[in-house]
Formats: sequence, structure tokens, C-alpha cells
Amino acid sequence: DSHVQYERVGADVTMKCGSMDWDAAVTWTANGTDIDESHLNGSYLILKNVGLSQSGQYSCYEGSSWHLKYQTYLRVGTPPKEPVLMCRSNNYPKGFYCSWHLPTPTYIPNSFNISVIHGTKDMVCERDAVPKNRCHIRYLQLFSTVKYKVTLTVTNALGKNFTTLTFDEFAIVKPDPPESVVAKPVPNNPRRLEVSWQNPSSWPDPESFPLKFFLRYRPLILDQWQHVELSDGTSHTITDAYAGKEYIIQVAAKDNDIGTWSDWSVAVHATPWTEEPKHLTTEAQITETTSASTSSFMAPPTTKICDKGAVVGSGAVAVCWTAGLVVAAYSVLFI
Amino acid sequence: MAAADSPSAALRRRDLCSRGIRLAGKMRADVVDLLDAYVERQGLDASASVAAVEGVPPAAVERWDEQTGTQRLLENLAAYRAFRALLAQMLEEQREQLGDADAALGRALAAVLLQVSAFAYHLEELLRLESRGIPGEEGAGPPPPPRLSLFEQKLRGLGVLRELAQWAVRSARDLRQLAKPSPAAGSAPGLAESP
Repeated sequence: DSHVQYERVGADVTMKCGSMDWDAAVTWTANGTDIDESHLNGSYLILKNVGLSQSGQYSCYEGSSWHLKYQTYLRVGTPPKEPVLMCRSNNYPKGFYCSWHLPTPTYIPNSFNISVIHGTKDMVCERDAVPKNRCHIRYLQLFSTVKYKVTLTVTNALGKNFTTLTFDEFAIVKPDPPESVVAKPVPNNPRRLEVSWQNPSSWPDPESFPLKFFLRYRPLILDQWQHVELSDGTSHTITDAYAGKEYIIQVAAKDNDIGTWSDWSVAVHATPWTEEPKHLTTEAQITETTSASTSSFMAPPTTKICDKGAVVGSGAVAVCWTAGLVVAAYSVLFI
Repeated sequence: MAAADSPSAALRRRDLCSRGIRLAGKMRADVVDLLDAYVERQGLDASASVAAVEGVPPAAVERWDEQTGTQRLLENLAAYRAFRALLAQMLEEQREQLGDADAALGRALAAVLLQVSAFAYHLEELLRLESRGIPGEEGAGPPPPPRLSLFEQKLRGLGVLRELAQWAVRSARDLRQLAKPSPAAGSAPGLAESP
């Protein structure tokens, strides 16, 4: 006869050759390869301190006739550790889903059972086909203060374990990140970038359940992010970008009233509009490279440093006050 | 129903809904702060489960998305009228228990009570706009509840504030539903009667 036998890693395993007597002459094979007699005690096969690599098909043959007397598939594994369970509503107010996994593999088949209780009511969490370790549940009630209790039990041939999550309706609301994030330069504006995005498609009713957004951006050459929180709208114009520098931009979303922020969206890159075309002359390129390397934390010289309102004087001697300061500083150095 | 359908009525409705949404948002923020202070001052465990408190209107609702606009307004109005009475009672109890010892908590309770009253009035305005009769408040009200122990009073207060926080979120959602333009021309936005 043939069957499956589950044993724990590190266990000592004794296999009997079916109904054969202890003193019968037998040959054992593992995955078709003869097993040395040193592992036998009479007709019993002794495997000490089994490891994962000893999983396989074990067969016992009668000595001279080579009749197959016993066959088993040995699967070496471990009982399950406490599973990791997460529940989240990314489609509020429709419902929520729970997903789980084991922190370490057991190397043998596991089965999962999930129960959801809301107050005294049992709810059915429908298993998803893909992925297998997920189920979803529709809200029957909204705005309830009664907590949900989700218990996940994992069982295999060597043991069982479980974990429980308790939460209220609002706490698990976490939208998916915003979609279709686009960042574009603004013509004739060397310090602006126009960013737009869309609500995540999984969020079913943004009109009744509006999202607010968090935008972060930084030039690639710096580590520090700038942040902007936006209570409505799906676009924003960055007005303090460093001219000519490539930016990385991301957006996150949150329900206006409840729950937590989404993960950051896919990052987009954009560079503000620059005055000079890309095909610069050699001299101009040298000038720009020199300027850029000496002013990495200041507005680069390609950016206007004079706003109209900062000009002092008029006519031929009109001087921008910031340019005047720079000139004065250099003058002091060379006196 | 002509008054309810006129452009000026539609504008007024939208304005009332927008202001109501902002009021509900502010109210919720203040109730959440009050909850934290209440739990601390009353020596309660923030995670304590409180059974449904008699007389506290539960915010929980089934088939919320199928409610008509009138249902939303009427349920909200009934709830905030109840909270007005409950908060007044809490304020009275708090003064009896602590006197002037915790004026800050008393002031916070009074501020929330004021917002609840204002919101109830706001809902009445919306109902008037729809030419709906405003349900009268029950004359003498329900009979006073049996005298609770100090601890029971504190737990009830916790239940009241928690439920009020839920209502503030629900009310903002309800008003957004009301403010949605109606799919059918000529019918009151968000206030179609169910057959």
C-alpha cells in the first residue's frame, strides 16, 4: 500500500515494511535508490533526525522476489508558526479584504480557515481565486462602533496555529495609491512643474467619499523631500523647483475623514522648462556647468534672480538689489 | 415642490450642504479631542468596550447608499436632537461630580453641545428648504433614566461621545449625498422619494 507520511524536521522516523516480520529480508529504496543496510533495524527503516532533503518516496521490497511490499511518500516539514494577517479597506464603503501568509514555510500543505465576527454576527469572508491567501467581505452596516474580529487558523498535518485581529470600520480604511501621475514642465516658467493624477480606480465613490492627497517632490540631487497636503483637486503646480534640475514626484491619498494614507504612487520624473535649448554651444555649456557646480544650494544663475519688484532705480542705472549685493560682495573680496 | 426645484433653492441647498459638511468636520475633530480628554479625566480605558447605551442613537445603518435624502435628513435630525439632550445631561452630571475642578472639560463639553445644537438647526433649515414638515420634538421627552452610579455615568458618557463621533462622519457623507446633482432633470437633487 502507498500513502503519505508527514514528519517534523529533526524527528526520528521508523518505517515498517507493511506487514512483513521484523526479521524478514527486505530492501528499502529512497526515490529509487537503494538505502544502505546501516539504516535498517531488521526490516524496519530507521531515519534519525530527518531533514527536508529526506522527503521523498520510500519503498520496501521483499528480499528475493522484489515484490513491492510497502510504499510511502515521506514529507518532512514543520508545524505552522503564528500566521501574519492583514485586513484593509481600499474600496470603502463597499467592504474590506484580509490577506495572510506564514512567516516561515512549513514545506508541507497547509489549510487556512478565516472567521469574521461583527458583534454577535458571523460574516462570510469570500475567498479570492487569485491570490489564494485572500478573502473579501462586503459591509452590511456602515458607521458602526462595534468592532470586527477576524480569526485566521492555519492547520497542517503536524499542528495548527492561529491569530486574531480586532479593528473598527474606520481604522482599516487605506486607499490604493493615486494613478496616472503626470508631471510636466510649464512653458516659460523655469521653476514650475504641473502635476496631475487620478483617484485610484478601486475607490468606488470619490464624490461622496472624497480623497485628500499628499504630494512629495525633490530634485534627484537632494535627499530631502518637500511636502504639500491638498484637501481637494487632483492637480498641483510646484512653484519652487530648482531650474534645470530633474525632479522625482510622488502622490499619496487618504479618505478625507477616516483611515490612513495610501502607499506612495509610482514615482514620476520631470525637469522644469529651461530657456536655453538643449543644443548649447561649447562656451555656453562650460559657463553653465561652472555656474551649476558652485551654486548647488542656491537658485542657479539660469534662474532669474531679479523679480520686477526688486529693481532699484530706473533707466540705464537700474540695478536689481540682489545683483547689487553679489557685486558688492565680490568687490569686498578683491579690495 | 416648485420652490425646492428653483435655481435659487438649488443654490441654497448646495450652500447649506457645504456649510453643513464643514460644520460636521469641525464637530468631529472637536468630539475626538473631547473623547481623549474625557477618557483621561474620567480615568477610563480608551479601549473599553461599551455596550449600546439606551437613548443613544446608533450611527450604524444598513443599506446606507439606498436611503433617500429625506430619510437622511430626518435620521440625522433625530440623532442630533437626542445628542443635544444627552450632552446637556452629561454637562449637568459633570458639574455635579467635579464642580469647578475641571472647568476645561466642562467648557469642551459645552462647546460640542453648541455645535450639536447648531447642526440640528442646520438640518432643520435643509428640511424647510425641501418644504418638508419638521418633526416636532417629543413633548416632555422620554422618562428620565434610572439614576446611574458614577462609574456607569462615565461609561455612558464614553458611549455618547463615541457614537457622536461616528455620527459626525456619517453626517458629512449624508450631506455629500444630498449635495449630489440629481440624475433626473427637475427632481430635487439627492432627495428623490422612494416609491
